[in-house]
Amino acid sequence: MKTRKKESEASRMPDHSGYFGDFGGRFVSETLMEALYELEKAFKKAWSDRSFQKEYQEVLTEFVGRPSPLTLAEGLTDHAGGARIYLKREDLNHTGAHKINNAVGQALLARRMGKKRLIAETGAGQHGVATATVAAKYGFDCEIFMGSEDARRQSLNVFRMNLLGANVKEVDGGTRTLKDAISEALRDWAQSVLTTHYVLGTAFGPHPFPLMVRSFQSIIGREARQQIMKKEGRLPDALVACVGGGSNSLGLFHHFVGDESVRMYGIEAGGRSLTAGEHAARFQGGRIGVLQGSKTFVLQNADGQILRTHSVSAGLDYSAVGPELAYYFETGRVHFDMVGDDEALEAFDTLSRLEGIIPALESSHAIAYGIRLAKEMGRGKILIINLSGRGDKDVLEVARLRGGVLS
Amino acid sequence: MTSRSSQKQDRSGKKIIPYLMAGDPDLSVTRSLLLEARKAGVWAVELGIPFSDPTADGPVIQKAAIRALSDETSLLNVLSFLGTIPLSERPPVFIMTYFNLFLAMTIDKFIDESIRVGGVAGAVIPDLSFEDAKEVRESFKAAGLALVPFISPTTSLTRIKKILATADGFIYFVSLLGTTGKALTLSSTMEESVRDLRARTKLPVCVGFGIQTPEMAQKILDFADGVIVGSRLVQEEKDPVAWGNLLRQFCEVASVAASSPHQ
Ligand SMILES: Cc1ncc(COP(=O)(O)O)c(C=O)c1O
Repeated sequence: MKTRKKESEASRMPDHSGYFGDFGGRFVSETLMEALYELEKAFKKAWSDRSFQKEYQEVLTEFVGRPSPLTLAEGLTDHAGGARIYLKREDLNHTGAHKINNAVGQALLARRMGKKRLIAETGAGQHGVATATVAAKYGFDCEIFMGSEDARRQSLNVFRMNLLGANVKEVDGGTRTLKDAISEALRDWAQSVLTTHYVLGTAFGPHPFPLMVRSFQSIIGREARQQIMKKEGRLPDALVACVGGGSNSLGLFHHFVGDESVRMYGIEAGGRSLTAGEHAARFQGGRIGVLQGSKTFVLQNADGQILRTHSVSAGLDYSAVGPELAYYFETGRVHFDMVGDDEALEAFDTLSRLEGIIPALESSHAIAYGIRLAKEMGRGKILIINLSGRGDKDVLEVARLRGGVLS
Repeated sequence: MTSRSSQKQDRSGKKIIPYLMAGDPDLSVTRSLLLEARKAGVWAVELGIPFSDPTADGPVIQKAAIRALSDETSLLNVLSFLGTIPLSERPPVFIMTYFNLFLAMTIDKFIDESIRVGGVAGAVIPDLSFEDAKEVRESFKAAGLALVPFISPTTSLTRIKKILATADGFIYFVSLLGTTGKALTLSSTMEESVRDLRARTKLPVCVGFGIQTPEMAQKILDFADGVIVGSRLVQEEKDPVAWGNLLRQFCEVASVAASSPHQ
């Protein structure tokens, strides 16, 4: 039972101060510190409480539609000409991405804590929609912060959030993307902390968010492990997921971390090029720093000012990365690579045409790398790609990029 | 020797601490503001270094940071700039900015440079929590620099005790929940909190966030050792004369409060 022991090692992280090795911590203003302690206590209690688990599982089944299938992608497998490719179908969840797993968990927790209002940041809009959805379901007031550039390129999701009764606050500061939305959410939380829960959407930010988000997303890998054992009778040889802050990747990886034979690949956005400001590949061009609550790899200049980023996908367009992934980068447990805009857009088409599945632009980065990797791995091997979301939200932006006008 | 000894455990008098953003709109104006502050008789200045992502600041200081941000206003360059001003033409300074700028420069280099240029009493780092600050606090202490701790209305008594046990410089009491620049309304709970803190520490307890008028400052100085005036003054930064006039009004109420029978 060697694997068991190692698995529990991954589960013991972070330490009691919120560190994964050198990464993590609680780099926030004093006003938020007690709220973080309160949240940590409430989360740990709920997570080990059978009635909370039962409620959470029930909502995942009845409302989200879990378990999500693990689909053998025959067309894509033939196309790559190597390893057998399976897709973990988070795109089939209610609201269209993995983000809902976490939003449900945090909403149930906020309700237990007696909070009346939910706030969230969003990049691609998927987490905003997921939070607006659970707010509607459970009767919370809801405000979503979104960079104005992201609101433009994900306008369908802005409209969805409004339909769900949330107030979307467009943020004009800084680069008008995810980073600025997080800053604005932190500012709101500092003044509303007594009544409001901040539903952070990725495995990032101050402790206990990286732990909590990873835990709520680990359902992805737990299911995938059972499903692949049933279909193939053995563990996969590799896992691939795209990396924004790290929630869908850690969600898939967590229950495999102890299995040494399973290689893990985290795919960042290579954007247009590796020139500063043209990409969001933190492990390629970043340095250890502190941003928005967490010590981790950060894209920054020599003085420590945060650099602009670019990616065709709003959900990967961010200057820092979750601290647990920074730890796995240092230990080498996860291999990080990147895929640029063009290759991701090509994979967007490939999956649509070969599988009848239109992937989110974020997930398209993982698909593109998966095609490369499957070829390299060769036949007889098994690869699971996390299809973190569906591409409906991206259709308008892709049309715009190709010179078509849809609206 | 460092020059911060004048700041240490100084509970005499009433203190005005203006916050100003280095390089807003440029460093020559900052030089004039420092001279004005010196002449007005402030206890110290909180010298802000612009950061691209100021999560604890409201709109006024965010905009000042955008105006000020350039290669010339890096943490290192602002320290060098201070070194070009004679000590007689600037008040003692606490550097205030976000932790990433210190990390990028390294704490050791920050300490070396601060000692080299003199007149740097310490630093105020809003996103460096007490829990994550241990190493920095120890390095600062060894070098005679103060890492100023924050206490907010949400801080529990357990943590207040821990924070006070290692505190240095002054206690930065955050007057309200939120970011800088929000208007403050006075409450009896704030007064109680400050009085309670003063009974637990020998360090000056200074109140900051949202102090918009000299009248407000005067009321707070009735029970606190000092006030930090940020956004209100930052709005006047482009005009050193107007800035100096407003600052002097704050300093006047402080000297009145210092001689009032309440103390
Ligand atoms: C569909 C989808 N995939 C991936 C991501 C990236 O985030 P994370 O790394 O937290 O999974 C996002 C974020 O918005 C997303 O919407």
